[in-house]
Amino acid sequence: MTVKTKKKEDKRIGLFVCHCGVNIAGVVDVKKVAEALKDTPGVSMSTDYVYMCSDPGQQMIIDTIKEKHLDGIIVAACSPTLHEKTFQEAARLAGLNPYQIEIANIREQNSWVHSDKDKATKKAVKIVKSHVAKAIRNENLEPIKVDVKKRALVIGGGVSGLQAALDIADHGYEVILVEKNPSIGGKMIQLSETFPTLDCSQCILTPKMVEVSRHPRIKLLTYHEVDSVSGFIGNFKVRIKKKPRFVDEKLCNLCGECEKVCPQIVPDEFNMGLSFRKAIYMPFPQAIPGTYTLDEDHCLGLSPVRCGKCKDVCEPRAIDFDMKETIIEEEVGAIVVATGYDLYTMQALGEFGGEKYEDVVNGLEFERILSASGPTGGVVRRPSDGKVPKSVVFVQCCGSRDTEKHLPYCSKICCMYTAKHAMLYRHRVPDGQATVFYIDVRTGGKAFDEFYQRTVEEDKVLYIRGKVSKVFKEGDKLIVWGVDTLTGKKVEIEADMVVLAMAMVKTDGVQDLLKKLKISTDIHGFVAEAHPKLRPVESLNAGFFLAGCAHGPKDIPEAVSQASAAAAKVGDLFAQKELSHEPTVVPVNDELCSGCGICVTMCPYGARTLDPSKGVVDVNEILCEGCGACAAACPCGAAQQRNQTDDQIFSMLRAMLRE
Amino acid sequence: MKLHYYPGCTLKEKAVALDISTREAMKRLDVELVEPEGWTCCGAEYPLTEEKIVGLAAPIRVLRQVRDEGGEVLVTTCSFCFAVLKRANKALRDDPLKRKRINAFLRDDIQIDPLTKARTTDFEDYNGEVQVLHLLEYLRDRVGTPKIKSRLKRDLKGLAVAPYYGCRLLRPQEEMAFDEPDAPRVFEDFLEAVGCSAVDYAFKQECCGSYLSVSLPDAATEASYRVLRAAQMEGARAVTVTCPLCFYNMDSRQAAIKEKFLDFSGLPVLYFTQILAWALGVDREVLGLGEHAVPADSLFEEVPTTEVRT
Ligand SMILES: Cc1cc2nc3c(=O)[nH]c(=O)nc-3n(C[C@H](O)[C@H](O)[C@H](O)COP(=O)(O)OP(=O)(O)OC[C@H]3O[C@@H](n4cnc5c(N)ncnc54)[C@H](O)[C@@H]3O)c2cc1C
Repeated sequence: MTVKTKKKEDKRIGLFVCHCGVNIAGVVDVKKVAEALKDTPGVSMSTDYVYMCSDPGQQMIIDTIKEKHLDGIIVAACSPTLHEKTFQEAARLAGLNPYQIEIANIREQNSWVHSDKDKATKKAVKIVKSHVAKAIRNENLEPIKVDVKKRALVIGGGVSGLQAALDIADHGYEVILVEKNPSIGGKMIQLSETFPTLDCSQCILTPKMVEVSRHPRIKLLTYHEVDSVSGFIGNFKVRIKKKPRFVDEKLCNLCGECEKVCPQIVPDEFNMGLSFRKAIYMPFPQAIPGTYTLDEDHCLGLSPVRCGKCKDVCEPRAIDFDMKETIIEEEVGAIVVATGYDLYTMQALGEFGGEKYEDVVNGLEFERILSASGPTGGVVRRPSDGKVPKSVVFVQCCGSRDTEKHLPYCSKICCMYTAKHAMLYRHRVPDGQATVFYIDVRTGGKAFDEFYQRTVEEDKVLYIRGKVSKVFKEGDKLIVWGVDTLTGKKVEIEADMVVLAMAMVKTDGVQDLLKKLKISTDIHGFVAEAHPKLRPVESLNAGFFLAGCAHGPKDIPEAVSQASAAAAKVGDLFAQKELSHEPTVVPVNDELCSGCGICVTMCPYGARTLDPSKGVVDVNEILCEGCGACAAACPCGAAQQRNQTDDQIFSMLRAMLRE
Repeated sequence: MKLHYYPGCTLKEKAVALDISTREAMKRLDVELVEPEGWTCCGAEYPLTEEKIVGLAAPIRVLRQVRDEGGEVLVTTCSFCFAVLKRANKALRDDPLKRKRINAFLRDDIQIDPLTKARTTDFEDYNGEVQVLHLLEYLRDRVGTPKIKSRLKRDLKGLAVAPYYGCRLLRPQEEMAFDEPDAPRVFEDFLEAVGCSAVDYAFKQECCGSYLSVSLPDAATEASYRVLRAAQMEGARAVTVTCPLCFYNMDSRQAAIKEKFLDFSGLPVLYFTQILAWALGVDREVLGLGEHAVPADSLFEEVPTTEVRT
C-alpha cells in the first residue's frame, strides 16, 4: 500500500556512514565516503559514526531526521539482513515512514572482500550513490494487514506432532491433528526402552496419546492425509482425505472376533515384519483410536461374495464394506509439519547382507526384538530360527557419514541407541558377546556419556573403532569383516546376529506432501528451517512450522523441545489481532499487463493467477514474498516491485556506472 | 571381423590355455583377434603404484600402436593387463598435464623393424583415442547374449560354476566403470549365457593372495583356500577366473592348501574362455587342460551334442 510521498526533486536525504569498528573503516575511508556524497543532488547532510547500530548511533539518526526534516536516509553499513529492521524502527520513532530507509551494504560486499583501500573506498562511494538514486524515488508504504484464523493443523502423529498439538491446544487454540496411519504414536511407540534413562517407551508415550485423544480442543484425524492446501499465513484452506477404514470407530468394541476369522495373513508393520497380522487388525493393543482397521490392499475383496467372514461375526455391526474415501475441508491459520523420518534401506548397503540374511536387522527391528510387546515377548531371539544369539555385532554409521557412496550427514542418535541396544542385549543375554563397530562415539546430550560409559564398563560391551566391509554367511554363522583402525588390523567376528544402525532419512513419500504445502527442503529432503540458528522451528514459508525428525535426525528430548517451540511460535502468531505483511510486493498494472502469464509461472509462492475474465494477472499480495522473479520476467513492465521499480533499478545502475 | 587383442606376457608363457581358448572361442563368434605390432609388457602392477610418468609409457605405447593400426578398441582378458591399460588410458585422458608429459617422453621413440631394419620415428601424440575393454565387457556389450546363445554347440546343463572376480577387474569403480563392484552381474550373466548356473558366494570379490605368492606364500595359500572353500560350500563344481595370477594361486596352490587345510578336497579352476570355447564347440584337446594342476578334464566330458540351440 502506498501513501502520499514527496516528489523526488524535493526530497531531503541524509547519509550515515558506519565504521563498524575496523570492519568497514579498516579498508574503506569512511570519512571520504561521507565527504564525497555531500554535494550529490538530493543529499542534504552526510556524516559517519563508529557503530551506527549502537544506541547512540540510532539516537543520532533519530535526532538528525527530526532536526534536518529528512525525507529519507541511507545507512551505509552491513548487509540489510542484519540491521534493516533496526533502522526502520529508528525512522519510525523519528516520524519517518520506515520504507524511506535504504541500507547500502559496504561491508559484506566491499570491505570484507577487498584489501585495496583506494579502490574499496571508490566502490563504497559508487554503492552509496546508487542508493541515493533509489532513495529519492522511494515511496512511503504501509504494511498490508490480514486476519488470522486461530486454529492450527498439525501433520504427523509421532511424539513431535502429539506434543505440538497438546501445547497449542493448551494455549487455548483448536488443533486438527492428521496422521496417515491407523494409530498415532509414530516410531516412538515401536521403541522398547529409551536412552539415557531406559524408561519404557510405550509407558511414557501412551499417556500423551490418551491426552491427545481426550483433549476437547484437539480434533484427531487418523488414517487421514492432507490432500491439498491453499491460501496463506493466517488463512489456509486445507482439504483432508479420509481413507476408508471399513470399520466404524464408534461401533467397534474391540472384541477381536473379526481378526480370528480373517484368512489373510500379512507381515505386521508394527513389528517391522517380524511377525504377522491379519488383513483386519489393530496395529497394537494401545492403539488410538481403539478400533480395528480393514486393510483394503490385503483384504480378499471387501465383499461377502469373496469372503465377508469378518462382517458375519461382527456383533456390533461395525464393519461396512461400502465405506468410501471422503474429503473434509478445514480452515486454519498455521500448519505444523511433524512427519518424522524413515530408515535408510538396507538394500543400499548390499555388502552387509541386510536383504539376504534374516539375521541381519536394522535398529527398529532390533527394538521390536527387545520389546516386551514384541514378537518374541522381549526375549532376544534371532529371526531365522528363534535361537538366542550368543554373539551380536552392532554396526554404527550404516549409510551415515559416507560422503562417497551414501549420506554425508551424521544421523546423530545411532551412537546412543546402539549403546542402548548393546546394553539391553547384555542384560537379557548375560553370557552373550556384544561388539560394536564405530567411527566415533558421539554422546553430546544430558547424561548421554555416562550412559555410554556404563555400556562399556559395567556391561562389558566391546567397542572396536573401525568400519565393517562385509557380512556374509558361513553355515549358520554370520561372519563380519571389519578393520580395527586403532591397531590397523583386520578383524573377523563370528556372529549369530548383526544389527545395522541405518541412517535416518526423510519419511518415505513425504516429498509429495511437501510439494502440496509448497515448503522448501534441504538437499536431503528434510524440511528446511528459516534460519539454522535463529529461526530453527519455522519454515521459510510464512505460516509453516516444523517439529521433530521431519527437520532432521533427532532424539526424543530434542524432538519434543522443538515441538513445544513450534507450538509457542504458533501461539505468537495467534496472539496477534491481525498480521502485517511487508508491503514491498509486486502488484500488477492492469493497463500494461498483456495477460501473457509468464509471471504466473515464475512465481514460487503461487501469489499470481491469470484472471481469464479480465485477461490480466491477479496478485494475492499476502502470498507475495517480494522476491522479484516476476518483475524481472514481465515483458511489459506491468509487474513493478514497490520501492524496487525498474525506474529505480535503472537509476541505480546509471548512478553506479556514470563515471 | 578383426579386433585388436592384447594377450600380455603371461598368456604367452604360463597361461597359454587362456590365450588359445580365447582365440578359438572368438573365432566361433566371427571375431579374428589381432595383436598390435611389437607390443610389450604392460608394466604389470608397477605403473599404478607410483606417480611416475615413465611407468605409463609402456601401456600408452601399446595403445598408440593400436590407434596407428586403425584400431578403436583393444580387448584383453588378463585382469592385471586390463587394469593397467584401462587406468593408464584414463589417467592420460583425464589429466592434460600427464598427457603432455607422457607424449613428450614418447616423442623420442624409435622403432626398428627386426627384419627390414626400417626405422620409424615421428609418432603422432596419443590422446586416449582407443577404448580398452575386458573380454567379458566386449561379450556383454558388443557381441551380446543372443548371439552367444545362437552359436552354442554344447549343452552345459547348468553346470554350477562360481565366478571369481578377484580384486582387479572391477575396482576402483570410477576407473574400471563397467560393473557395480558390490553387486556385480557381468560374470554371472556370462555364465548363464553359455549354459552354466552361476554360484553366488561371499568371496567372489576377495583377494586370492595375489603377489603374496612370492613373498608370503602361506598367506596366499590361506586366501585362496577361503575363496575355494566358500565356492564349494555353495555347491560349485568349479571356480572360473579371468586372471592368470588368480588361476595360479588357486590352481597350483591346491596341493599346499590341502596339506594345510585338511577339510578341503579340491576344486577345479577354469579360465572363463575355456568354458566359452567348450560351449561353442571347440575340441577338448585345444583347451589347454594339460596346464591345470587340479585336473579339470571331467568337466569337459563329451556328451552327445545337442544341435544348435536358439
Ligand atoms: C532404532 C531407534 C532407536 C531409537 N531409540 C531412541 C531412544 O532410546 N531415545 C530417544 O530419545 N530417541 C530414540 N530414537 C529416536 C526417536 O525414534 C525419534 O526421535 C522420534 O521418534 C521422533 O519423533 P517424530 O514425531 O519426529 O517422528 P516419527 O516418530 O517418525 O513420527 C512421525 C509421524 O508422522 C506420520 N506421518 C508421516 N508422513 C505423514 C503424512 N504425509 N501425513 C500424515 N502423517 C504422516 C507418521 O506416520 C508418524 O506417525 C530411536 C530411533 C531409532 C531408529
